[in-house]
Amino acid sequence: MPAAINHKDVFVVVPAYNEQTVIRDVVSELVDIGYTVVVVDDGSKTSPEPFLKGLPVYFLQHEINMGQGAALQTGIEFSREHHASYIITFDGDGQHNADDIKKLLEPLQTNEADFTLGSRFLKGAAHNMSGARKQTLQIAKFINYIFTGMRLTDAYNGMRALNPKASALVNIRENGMAHATELLTFIKKNKLRFQEVPVNIRYTEYSKNKGLTVWNGFRIFFDILLNKIFG
Amino acid sequence: MSGIQILLIGGVIAIFIYYIARFRNALADLIILGIFSAAAVFFILYPDETTVIANKLGVQRGADLLFYICILFFIFIIVKLYARIRRLESKLTEIIRQRAKDEAKKTE
Repeated sequence: MPAAINHKDVFVVVPAYNEQTVIRDVVSELVDIGYTVVVVDDGSKTSPEPFLKGLPVYFLQHEINMGQGAALQTGIEFSREHHASYIITFDGDGQHNADDIKKLLEPLQTNEADFTLGSRFLKGAAHNMSGARKQTLQIAKFINYIFTGMRLTDAYNGMRALNPKASALVNIRENGMAHATELLTFIKKNKLRFQEVPVNIRYTEYSKNKGLTVWNGFRIFFDILLNKIFG
Repeated sequence: MSGIQILLIGGVIAIFIYYIARFRNALADLIILGIFSAAAVFFILYPDETTVIANKLGVQRGADLLFYICILFFIFIIVKLYARIRRLESKLTEIIRQRAKDEAKKTE
């Protein structure tokens, strides 16, 4: 068993773009466990700040919408500057389960990994995903494989955990969804030890509407391609 | 001189004047632009000359050669503009990020 951890030293970065209807539930769950929560509002049309009233969280706001990758990097830098022991990335749309965080942290605490990635397809994980979405994820996994040479069971799962070594190095430059592939490249380039950990995904009507589409898949592909060309 | 020649030469001269008035660039830019404009006017007045060059390059008609060159030129412009947009976006991101971090609040 890993040593006990002070939950306050675990910073959970929650990027939020127009999530005002669910953000309070997502954040409450994290605050109840005792984690330090960093909400990064990525230029939402309606600020989520009033919805966080009474919850002790750090609230950062991008003045204009820059993309999820940009919001994550802002949250990670902020957490790093506040001496976080571990940094978690956690989607703001309510599809992740706060209880899974401790599973993601375990390999970091026992020093078996520097970076853990949530996977909804590993044994022990549950999801209620539609066939179409599974296909989109297959395409995304293939894109990841082409660009990084890494075979993962899941692609574009927003739940990840970083130890201080990993978070000190991370520098997301892909502002959009392509950041997920960029992070894999980053793991590979820096020879970080990584593990996939089973996490549960709750597909609600709400999160389904916000999730990855085939169109996003193409966008991601071209973003990465252009990034490779232009650096 | 036909109508289209007047139109095209007018356009080339207008772009030349606009560029000089708007950007006031270095002498080298001015010379290059001057040469291009002069060449454009020349080929507009004597379009058959483009066919001579085209034939030397293995293209049948001068108009086709111009079309191929235009495609290459526009791809070059798009690539240049895209690279510039990316640079600007990355600078903008840095500024927005710094402001977000400086103005971080703790909600209660």
